[in-house]
Amino acid sequence: MSAILLAVVVVLPVLGGALLPLLPFQSRRQRQVYIEGVVLVTSVLALLLLFHRPEERIVIFRFTSNLTLSLKLDGLGTVFVGIIAVLWPLATLYAFEYMEQEEHEVTFFLFYTVTYGVTMGIALAEDVVTMYCFYEMLTLVTLPLVMHTLTREAILASRTYLYYSLGGAAFAFMGVIFILIYGTTADFVPGGVLDLVKIGDRKNLLLLIYVFCFFGFSVKSAMFPFSGWLPKAGVAPTPVTALLHAVAVVKAGAFTTMRITYYSFGAQFLCGTWAQTVVLIPVIVTIVYGCSRAVKETHLKRRLAWSTVGNLSYILFGTALMTPSGLVGALSHMVFHALMKICMFFCAGAVISRSGREYIWQLDGLGRRMPKVFAACTVCGLALMGVPGLCGFISKWNLVKAAIESRNLLGYVGIAALMASALLTAIYMLTVSVHAFFPAKDSGSGSTERVSVTPAGAGHATPVPYDQVHDPGWRMLLPIGIFVVAMIAFGLHPQPLIDELTRLVDVIH
Amino acid sequence: MIGLSILLPVVAGVFLLLSAGRDAGGDERKESLHALHVQTGLVLLLTGALALYTAWNGADTCTWFELMRRIPVYFHIDDVSRLFVTVVSVTWVLVGFYSFVYMSHEGKERRFFGFYLIVYGVLIALCFAGNLVTLYLFYELMTLTSMPMVLHNGSREAILAALKYLFYSMCGAYLGLFGIFFLYRFCDTLTFTAGGTLNPELAMENQTILMIAVFAMLIGFGAKAGMFPMHAWLPTAHPVAPSPASAVMSGIIVKAGVLAIIRVVYFVVGPDFIRGTWVQTAWMSLALLTVFMGSMLAFWEPVFKKRLAYSTVSQVSYILFGLSVLSETAMEGALLHVVFHAFIKSALFLTAGVFLYQAGKTRVEQLRGIGRQMPVTLWCFTFASLALIGIPPASGFISKWYLAEGALEGDIGVFGWAGPAVLLLSALLTAGYLLPLVTNGFFPKAGLVEAEMAEHIDGAETGTEQVGDPSALMLVPLAVLAALALLLGIFPNPLIRFVSGIAAVVL
Repeated sequence: MSAILLAVVVVLPVLGGALLPLLPFQSRRQRQVYIEGVVLVTSVLALLLLFHRPEERIVIFRFTSNLTLSLKLDGLGTVFVGIIAVLWPLATLYAFEYMEQEEHEVTFFLFYTVTYGVTMGIALAEDVVTMYCFYEMLTLVTLPLVMHTLTREAILASRTYLYYSLGGAAFAFMGVIFILIYGTTADFVPGGVLDLVKIGDRKNLLLLIYVFCFFGFSVKSAMFPFSGWLPKAGVAPTPVTALLHAVAVVKAGAFTTMRITYYSFGAQFLCGTWAQTVVLIPVIVTIVYGCSRAVKETHLKRRLAWSTVGNLSYILFGTALMTPSGLVGALSHMVFHALMKICMFFCAGAVISRSGREYIWQLDGLGRRMPKVFAACTVCGLALMGVPGLCGFISKWNLVKAAIESRNLLGYVGIAALMASALLTAIYMLTVSVHAFFPAKDSGSGSTERVSVTPAGAGHATPVPYDQVHDPGWRMLLPIGIFVVAMIAFGLHPQPLIDELTRLVDVIH
Repeated sequence: MIGLSILLPVVAGVFLLLSAGRDAGGDERKESLHALHVQTGLVLLLTGALALYTAWNGADTCTWFELMRRIPVYFHIDDVSRLFVTVVSVTWVLVGFYSFVYMSHEGKERRFFGFYLIVYGVLIALCFAGNLVTLYLFYELMTLTSMPMVLHNGSREAILAALKYLFYSMCGAYLGLFGIFFLYRFCDTLTFTAGGTLNPELAMENQTILMIAVFAMLIGFGAKAGMFPMHAWLPTAHPVAPSPASAVMSGIIVKAGVLAIIRVVYFVVGPDFIRGTWVQTAWMSLALLTVFMGSMLAFWEPVFKKRLAYSTVSQVSYILFGLSVLSETAMEGALLHVVFHAFIKSALFLTAGVFLYQAGKTRVEQLRGIGRQMPVTLWCFTFASLALIGIPPASGFISKWYLAEGALEGDIGVFGWAGPAVLLLSALLTAGYLLPLVTNGFFPKAGLVEAEMAEHIDGAETGTEQVGDPSALMLVPLAVLAALALLLGIFPNPLIRFVSGIAAVVL
């Protein structure tokens, strides 16, 4: 397979998205076919690339002789490419049905499609400079998506998002510079590129820079104390929160931290140093913090956003263990959490768009009106809790196995944090299902009084009367169904995937 | 065969749940209910027969598939499985028939029986589980599927109670999982092997963290068994659940915690690893504390079902104490008490259900003179009470005798005499909280005639004039359970031989 394809999968969605307002479409349907076409072609090409990985790299652009924008597909990249290539077409399909009720559809799909290309760019970046460039671009192209509704709340949220991300990128940039100076090359090499001779006695300085860099990149994956932007950004339309704020953007944050940890600084250089302790502590804190905030939150989408905060730190925890098995755990949770959380958000979006209810306490008895959506929602909840037989258990098992093998005391603390967070997950996920399927008798599910007590400022959606609520159409249900099947399939038969991940990671040490 | 006996009730239950939406009214409802009862009854009997046949005759191992490398979902039948599956099946089927009548006044029968059947299948799987991960899988499923039985009546109180049950159980399960992770690392295999599978070298190196892990598992699985400090869900969940649900939860589901602890301590970690360590001391102390505290709380509790719930807290810790001594005799006592307590406590909750169903009485002081109206029910209650207190020749006496003897001859220092003393004290308290019901039920004080009259007028007003012993379908399961509680004490020898076989293998 030719290396040109690497450039195609990045450029095609960017161009395809950018052309969207210029092309003369007769109807909405035509436009939808065009968008889905662009996304599908990109995904098919990307999946082809996974199976016929090109060995050579492709240079898109040269800044100077040794600073280039170049793409190459390696083991770690395949995992991320695989996740987004599978999820993007399904999420786009879902977005068609969802966005029919919102305004500015064209602008939305423009940026939605461009983001696909940019995220591909991060996954395929060959060196740290390229990755950094795409990382910055990701912030900029997703910004309009966050402020899509143009309400005051949305604009404030997008501003917060911008400040957090740019701030993080600035710290990350320091790391990039130091890698350029002290590394043998800017490329990603399994095991790291640092030149120990050049470093000499400045090891502590490099460790400090690593800590900055880790914190900088993990702003995107919402690590405490930089997690504030993610729940706020939940004002965006649900397809955005589902795909970008549960998968693409936040996992780009996790992915970049994996890159710099294992491919630039090198796990052997970092493992067992004070820098590892410094990054592990906030990660463990975030695991518990995110889940506790989720329990406290009564707004459905914000609760899921906090849950994402906690779960992303599972991935960072695996990364920060700095062992190959830790990376396997992190990668498996990256894949499985993508499935679980996007499905959960899709369910939430279906509930919000079909019933106009946004708060958990409004969901009483809706399980009978939307049985398919809430059944899927319950399966997601159980998977997130880590019930054996569903995929969440597998990734948790791998993470904990890695933590025990690492023989790091903080690893043991991390296991306790994982268990505590599983309990909190049970609390915040199952209460949703219990509200939906087993309404309290005296709450008078769906009665008119109940609807009218909704505070006026509770949200922009108005509750639909209980009797008119029903399951959404096939374009929303199909992706949800596929994800549920995938969660169960990976839960019961995860070994091929885990073996594949282990094989990818084996090259590191 | 193993797979069939697990899947049959689960599939039947799922079908019932899927059809739960169409509950018709009027005559149609009566007919469809009749059909439901016949179906459920058949499935219960068939599953019971299958499970017992499989346990005592059938294939003794079976692997479903590999969850992860070297971690299959694996079933293996040994004597412990046989004991538990027999107790579960007998109780589950009997209580199932009882609830055909009882649930008619709670409504939503399809949902109830759907979950009832599913939990039965999950429990059979739990008993047959052959390694720790399989056990954990079905342990969590049991919590999730039994939760809807608690919140059945749909009141806000019931839902909160169900959530409390859920979160205590989940907290326990995750503590258990915490331990499983470490055991996976430090054991040769997670397959149950009498005497334990701990890798001696790895265990010596990592003694501290292993101790902590085992202790976490004891506390965690102890949550289901109502051991202090995680006992609080029992008295909340039982009064609001329908009586048959409380009966099986108290009689059977708490025993799942006991089963998990037996499997962990005797079949994975090995009793020798914790003998004489702080883990054993802490475990014994917690168990004894719970025995005393449960009885004390039951003694002061005026709501009948809540009193029985506290009594369960106390009685199940008898079992846990017996297990914690790590001696053969004490373990025999514990296993005997598993059997006896299952039958006794189910019978007691079923009588509570009868009082509630026939007369709408929930508090202890309302039950004065009840013996005149429902003599047979109260006789059953009396036999079960005598058995629970441990008055010879009823069954509880035998198990308590073995427990006390085991503690006295065990090498456990101060607990050797403190244990039996607490057990004795708790037996007195048990008599104190159960026997007054019997005496007041049969012989109400003369001064209470007026009160009773007043109550009769109340009854006439609310239209509950048909106060008397319930129909045969309710009475027979109750009588059978009470008779078992009595008869197993008179003819205990086959059972004792069986459990001493188990104890001899693992210790």
